[in-house]
Amino acid sequence: MGRMNGWLRGLAVVVALWQVPHSHAWTLEEAAKPYKGVTVRTIGEALPPLEAMKAMAPEFTKRTGIKVEIEMYEHSEAVNKVMLDLNSKRARYDFILQPHRELGKFVANKHLQPIDRFLDDPKLRDPSFEPAKVLYPGLWKEISWYQGKVYGFPFTALTMYAWYRNDLLNDPKERAGFKAKYGYDLQPARDWKQYRDLAEWFTRPDKGLYGTALQGKRHEALWYEWLNFLYSFGGDVLDVKAGSDCGPVIVNSPEAIESLEYYKSLVKFSPPDTLNYFWDDVMALMQQGKVFELIMWNDATYAVAEDKEASTVAGKMAFDLVPQGKGGKVGQVEGWSYLIPASAKNQAAAYLFIQWMMAYDQQLKQHLNGGASARPDVYASKDVQKLAYAKASMQTNEVAKPKATLPQSGEMTDILVREISTFLVGQKTAKAALDTSAKDISKLLGKCAPLKYPVK
Amino acid sequence: MQGVDTGGTRGRLLFDRGTAWFLLAPAAVLVVIFLVGPFYYMTWTAFTDLSFANPDQHGAFIGFDNFRRLMREDDIFWSSFGRTLHFVVASVGLEFVLGFALALLIHRSVRSTRVVLTLLLIPMMLAPVAVGLLWKLLLQGDFGMVTHYLRSVGLLARDAAIFSDPSLVMPAIVAIDVWQWTPFVTLVVLAGLMSLPREPFEAATMDGAGPWRQFVDVLLPLMRPIIALVLLLRGIDAFKEFDKVFILTGGGPGTVSELLSIYAYRVNFKNWDIGYGAAVAFMVYLVVVILCSIFYKAVYWKPSGERVAA
Repeated sequence: MGRMNGWLRGLAVVVALWQVPHSHAWTLEEAAKPYKGVTVRTIGEALPPLEAMKAMAPEFTKRTGIKVEIEMYEHSEAVNKVMLDLNSKRARYDFILQPHRELGKFVANKHLQPIDRFLDDPKLRDPSFEPAKVLYPGLWKEISWYQGKVYGFPFTALTMYAWYRNDLLNDPKERAGFKAKYGYDLQPARDWKQYRDLAEWFTRPDKGLYGTALQGKRHEALWYEWLNFLYSFGGDVLDVKAGSDCGPVIVNSPEAIESLEYYKSLVKFSPPDTLNYFWDDVMALMQQGKVFELIMWNDATYAVAEDKEASTVAGKMAFDLVPQGKGGKVGQVEGWSYLIPASAKNQAAAYLFIQWMMAYDQQLKQHLNGGASARPDVYASKDVQKLAYAKASMQTNEVAKPKATLPQSGEMTDILVREISTFLVGQKTAKAALDTSAKDISKLLGKCAPLKYPVK
Repeated sequence: MQGVDTGGTRGRLLFDRGTAWFLLAPAAVLVVIFLVGPFYYMTWTAFTDLSFANPDQHGAFIGFDNFRRLMREDDIFWSSFGRTLHFVVASVGLEFVLGFALALLIHRSVRSTRVVLTLLLIPMMLAPVAVGLLWKLLLQGDFGMVTHYLRSVGLLARDAAIFSDPSLVMPAIVAIDVWQWTPFVTLVVLAGLMSLPREPFEAATMDGAGPWRQFVDVLLPLMRPIIALVLLLRGIDAFKEFDKVFILTGGGPGTVSELLSIYAYRVNFKNWDIGYGAAVAFMVYLVVVILCSIFYKAVYWKPSGERVAA
């Protein structure tokens, strides 16, 4: 019996020793073997983060034999093509890159494959990849989760913050003149009064310089931009804690009305065509050195602040959180997420590519080429710290506020864009525009979204 | 022999009919696939609650609910409808007057019309998307060439921009449409003028009718079918205007340039409310059908005197 026990003990040790190296022996090459020769196809917005991914994909193909085809389109086109593909069940894409506001629509219509299936699969899951530890938890939850279930990983954690012309901020003549007029030092705005003072001071149409540039076109850009003002003034669209929650409509609160009126007050410090601008236009103006300050996206920062071939103000920019109002420090976040359609043909191969892209090395490379990683360790890298916008990006990530990801979020956005635009051109007052928005959104969402502020 | 002949004729007829059907079949199949099929699907969808956004709306039949909502509750639809009618009347009206005048001028004054017509047709040959992009750049508020010259001559204030000023947006869009489509009117009217018989004009001259009387009492009645045709084609096309406006303004600022087609796009492809969007599209179709029938009547309408004589 004693001999038998000893023999069994010895066998257990052998088994354990055999298992130890195997549990750590996960390699991408091994995991990808069954999918060699497969082609995974994806679609996303034609911007630097996707271009960076496209540049890295051949390395993945070299290691795995899995080919990656990437289709790039303008923002709305990328969203519309995916909607039509998912609803037609053609399964053209093995994974998709989509803005997180679309999440509710996809989940409610059962278009997505929850990602935990892959995370629980030891053959596919890289044991060193622990998303809960390596990603900003708030950003991951906001961008890729819906009603407590995880559907993907952040492709980009897009946030908006304030951009300033640092060379003008540090110009001794400007500093002296500004202090003489406003009674305080020229610096990035701490509050919205200072933001307007700065806009006013630097508005010099005769010299082709404007204080700011609003994204006032009837386009999603208008809504995104105004959300920064809304949140900072202490308002919100719905009174909820998570983007996937439905709750009372508060978009016509006094704070929201105040923020909208303030927003319009900046039109006179913007170029004449400001009501026809969206993100591309204001980015181009900044690159040409025609604007002093504005509120813009982090994935556009590289092309303005670092790319000397594209920008006349590269190396001359400063970045900071949006000014603070009653809402305190806030950031408006919009992420694009890696998602796997339920109808996709090559789900496992797609997951392997996504997981590979989420690894530190790829995230760092992508971030340095215009990406917007959701990994804090990427921001801690020395190379990233050298970027003028690293600090502002990181700070905004930490105070990011959720936005509605309900199935009706697209229509909610459309209502708000329409009404804000009618206010900007003087067709309605701020109160009337937001009252109409509140009424329409409440009607759209139904019983779960009563009006908190009565509408006549 | 007669019987044999009859049999042969019948056989040929049957053969001809069979051949005719055989030859027509490919075109008929294509028409069914690309016209009848989609139209049937759109019409059916307009009677359902299909939505790609709302999971509770799977496309159940809801009768006339979408149309009821459209007629009674949807203020945006009606304001877009009114705006579209204004756009059609203004743009087609101007295109017709300018195109007719230009055609008369070319017909009477230009000997070799080839070069003139080739130059005239350039805007018409451009894709609407290209026209939208072209004018977006020309009228851009910061560096647009046309904007620059308009400011230089004082027609546009230094602190104004065409697509950010609600009072200038629709006139600008009408002007661009007129620029693009006046040559089409000119071309069709010119073809009509060249095909007119000389005799009625010679008779009118003999009777002492001056140029104005000849224009009103001879030329215009003779040109009526051509005029009706050109107005019909332009009216239908202008009513469906989408590309240029979408690229230039996206329907804004505010709702200043939100035409019916832009609204239909928003309902279908922003809100994914496909059933309701199909109802909006069906209404556009209905208006076009009404326009067609009115103009068809106009083409074949004859004064009472002519009808009696006939």
